[in-house]
Amino acid sequence: MDAAASKGGLRLLRVFFALLAVFLYAPMVVLAIFSFNNGDVSFPLQGFTTRWYAQFFSNPLLIGALRRSAIVATLSSIIAVALGVLASFALIRRQFLGKSATSALFFSPLVIPYLVFGISLLLLFTVVDKLLTQVAGVYIGLGLHAVVIGHVVVSLPYVILTIMPLLERLSVSLEEAAHDLGAGTWQTFRRITLPLLLPALISSFLIAFTLSFDEFAIASFLAGTQPTWPVYLFAQLRVPSQLPQLVAVASVILLGSLVLVLFAEIVRRVVERRYGAEYSGRGIV
Amino acid sequence: MSDPAKKWKRREREATAGLLSGPLLWLLLFFVAPVVYVAVYSFGGIKLFPTDAGVVSLDSWRRFLGGGSVYMALFWKSIRISLTVSVIVVFLSYPVGYFLALCVKKRKYVLLLLIIAPFLTSYLLRVLAWKIILGDSGVINSFLFSVHLRSPDHPITWLLYSQFSVMLVLAYVWIPFVALPIFVSLDNLDRSVLEAASDLGASRWQTFWRVTFRLSLPGVVAAFVFVFVPTIGEFVTPLLVGGPSGYMYGNAIQDLFTKGLDWQTGSVLAMFLLLVVAGLMVLFGRFVQVRNVAT
Repeated sequence: MDAAASKGGLRLLRVFFALLAVFLYAPMVVLAIFSFNNGDVSFPLQGFTTRWYAQFFSNPLLIGALRRSAIVATLSSIIAVALGVLASFALIRRQFLGKSATSALFFSPLVIPYLVFGISLLLLFTVVDKLLTQVAGVYIGLGLHAVVIGHVVVSLPYVILTIMPLLERLSVSLEEAAHDLGAGTWQTFRRITLPLLLPALISSFLIAFTLSFDEFAIASFLAGTQPTWPVYLFAQLRVPSQLPQLVAVASVILLGSLVLVLFAEIVRRVVERRYGAEYSGRGIV
Repeated sequence: MSDPAKKWKRREREATAGLLSGPLLWLLLFFVAPVVYVAVYSFGGIKLFPTDAGVVSLDSWRRFLGGGSVYMALFWKSIRISLTVSVIVVFLSYPVGYFLALCVKKRKYVLLLLIIAPFLTSYLLRVLAWKIILGDSGVINSFLFSVHLRSPDHPITWLLYSQFSVMLVLAYVWIPFVALPIFVSLDNLDRSVLEAASDLGASRWQTFWRVTFRLSLPGVVAAFVFVFVPTIGEFVTPLLVGGPSGYMYGNAIQDLFTKGLDWQTGSVLAMFLLLVVAGLMVLFGRFVQVRNVAT
């Protein structure tokens, strides 16, 4: 007999699982359905329309906010991946004093409430600006640069967590072989390490990108007069006439990010399965 | 000692420093320093606005911790809400983790991904979806109107802007995330132990309660911490679906910084929240292996 569940128990678990999946996806489906509703966001449905989509494509403020978020997400994830590679190498390949404290510091943005971190950066920028205006008569102010800075901090641990497991399995002997064959440090990194790390780099970039793209708490304190997409969305929620349009964008973005997430995961698994042997060096030596 | 060995050692140290300096500098400047500023500010160590006292004292901490503090009451209310949510979420996620880890043989990772994927999409949009569903003229109410189960003059009002809506949406948001640690702990479980228990005559319930559940406890605790810690400081969900009765501690912090402009009291509240979170992480840290989060 199966020790995990009886036949009846199994059926019950299956039903429960299905119900929970419905619960998780129903709100998104509802959102998608009403994005095509020729009326406001309530029953009865009034027929099919794509005018909300047309409206949002021609709304410059909305497009501007989306573009800002895309810029912030791209910049912050590039920086986060770059810093994350350095940090992962240090944590996996190096021995140094205070290693566990350093690694605790790298991972602590995982647990800090974004609200607290957001106001902390707000305070930092305000203090620095006050100093700068007094001393030099200039000030930096808030804006996209501040949001990028904040997003790098919070996505860094996720990047490190994605790169580290792969780096751990990547055998040092491959790099040593390259060295022995006369490759310099930079050449070894570019020709051997980087290509092997690429899957992790791509998936960590995607994780950092999605995290930043719809991050609201930190951005709401730091965006200033340059609202990113979530900040803009939040401000517009108070305008009922905007709602159907926002529902349309929301459906597109939810669907888009679901597809992206699934894609990233599938790529990661396929690559790992196909090249799994190479990372340990067995495939080559 | 030969010179080359020393030289090699120095080069190694330099390489380590080179690797660490970038990420460390970023975190020290933009993560540690700002938090330290908030701590200093909470004691009045920085004078930023004309209204700031500019004197270092324990006054604002004393006001906050003292009896009859509004913010302290709000803090306990938030703790109550997030405790309730965490318990509900763990209860709902456990059967899912159990089912996927022990009952499904083929495609268990696909099904797991199905549950987790919503967590990786926009948080704000998922909350927005519920706002649309629960409102007085929202999807549920307008559906009830249109099938004449309820008259438009009397919508179900407690659906939105209540503690109920805050808890429902928080549970909705966190279930996908929490299913993971429970799944991992059950999936790593040595299956022969279960077989041994049943061979020794234990019923399924006995096996579950005395073996499986106990072995999965670290995962359950981790799951609980994963919801409880971030929801204490939650402010977005109550802002969107909470209304006055769903107002939480995090909303007070946000209001003090954006509307009330009492940054010093705000700093006290923020530091206190940070201390609570840090304390909980120290207490439960050994159950929460960050590596479980990534894969």
